[in-house]
Amino acid sequence: MPEIPEYWSIGWWEIFLAGFSTLAIYTFLYKENPLYRIFEHFYIGIATAYGIIATIRFFVWPELLKPMLGLDRIEFPDGTMSEEYENLYLLYLIPVCFGLLFYCILTKRHKWLAELVIGCQLGYAGGLAFKGTFSELLPQLFDSFRSFYVPGSVADSLTNIFFVVTLVTSLTYFFFTFKRVEGGVVESASSVGRWLMMGCFGAFFGSTIMARMALLVERLEYLIHTWIPAMVS
Amino acid sequence: MSTVTEKKSRSWFEILETLDRRIIYLFVVVALSIPIIYRVEMKPAPMGTADDFYEAVESLDPNSGKIVLIAADWGPGTMAENRPQTEVAIEHLLRRRQPFALITIYTLGAPFLEEVPKGIVKRLEKEMPDEKWEYGKDWVNFGYRPGGILMIQGLAKAEDLHDVLRADATETPLADIPMMEGVHTIEDISMFMEFTGLVGAFNAWVQFFRGPIFLHGCTSITIPEAFIYYSSKQIIGLLEGLAGAAWYETKLYEDYSERDKESLALSTNTGLSFAQLVVLAFILLGNVGVLMRALSKTLSKKESS
Repeated sequence: MPEIPEYWSIGWWEIFLAGFSTLAIYTFLYKENPLYRIFEHFYIGIATAYGIIATIRFFVWPELLKPMLGLDRIEFPDGTMSEEYENLYLLYLIPVCFGLLFYCILTKRHKWLAELVIGCQLGYAGGLAFKGTFSELLPQLFDSFRSFYVPGSVADSLTNIFFVVTLVTSLTYFFFTFKRVEGGVVESASSVGRWLMMGCFGAFFGSTIMARMALLVERLEYLIHTWIPAMVS
Repeated sequence: MSTVTEKKSRSWFEILETLDRRIIYLFVVVALSIPIIYRVEMKPAPMGTADDFYEAVESLDPNSGKIVLIAADWGPGTMAENRPQTEVAIEHLLRRRQPFALITIYTLGAPFLEEVPKGIVKRLEKEMPDEKWEYGKDWVNFGYRPGGILMIQGLAKAEDLHDVLRADATETPLADIPMMEGVHTIEDISMFMEFTGLVGAFNAWVQFFRGPIFLHGCTSITIPEAFIYYSSKQIIGLLEGLAGAAWYETKLYEDYSERDKESLALSTNTGLSFAQLVVLAFILLGNVGVLMRALSKTLSKKESS
């Protein structure tokens, strides 16, 4: 059981706000209302602000500003520094200034400067995606070549057959090169593929419900074992 | 008389079909609350994927000088599932004295990197008063690292991780952290664990952080997708949502009988099972309503003809 902080202490207020926010969000289940809207906007605002602060705290300050300003060096009691200031850190200003051009998107006249940054981003993202897709999909592609007969295991053999049938028929569904003839092989295979995919979507939907329920369980756990005891203590 | 009964029963079917969603919500909340209030715990179903995860951790040699890297890319949104997963995995590593490092590429995940291991260490030290776990020797927190794919690729290709990461989340240089002394490249990372509900984050690690044994803890929504990677052996162990964490916890009970009985994963998983039963019952009732109405329609058509 979690420890319940003293009444009116900071910890108590923390719990009060957490529980109240949860209940405010859940009022949506009854119907759309202003309380829900207010807390929804609080959440978005806080998450965005947190993201900005975290980027400054964990990246901009320690990786960029501190070395550029020479603040990552240690000053000894006699006034000497642990190391000499490295002028090359000033080169960081080049990518920083280039990145800041992104904000030119806010002006009509200099918008083209922002497009340079966007183009650069698209270029590296495309390159990385190209490389990443291969390293991600190749092992899956190799795995799809499965033997229909696994010695000593009927279950594995059936699994492999089902896997290959699903793979081929699902791919056939997205195969639009040939004209499909009603009752033909391609049409029949794509129909089987469609049904198998519908089964898959059902599994996705079921697991989505399970995930949503898990979120509710966690919140109820908090409300029942932390919030209510803190409120009535 | 028969017409009156028919009208009444027909309205029942309609009620079942058009049941107000708020009534369903109410039933679900009540069903979920009962096991939480009375701390009912049901043994979860065995999961082969979680067994593989467990065995992989068991196969590690804590004295090899290598570390486990844990990416906890989750925040409040998927905390319900990813937190118990991260907790059981960290607990297992701490019990085996296997040093590990925590990192996240998701901003909202940063506070949990500090909170979760400390909470587990507190619980373990209560359970074993003679044992001590220390930050810097047993685990280290690299904190939130922005840059996504570029950062991951930087880690994977680093000639010296000390130069790339520089310091931990408290700005202590990695050189001053005892467990990082012999850890310099990806070769010194024996295992990588990724806990997330974000498909993009998982893909980024799968694509660019190749080498160490890869284990994954996913949310229920992403189970079907995660199975593709499990099937192709890109990940060798998988914790499937809350149920995976609950089964992992059961395995910890089996191996560490003195373990504290208070359990988050098991109790929440029991609640989840109750809720699923309620939802299933309502789906059945709704379908019974549809079928019965169709049946009564057919019967009345036959009667009139």
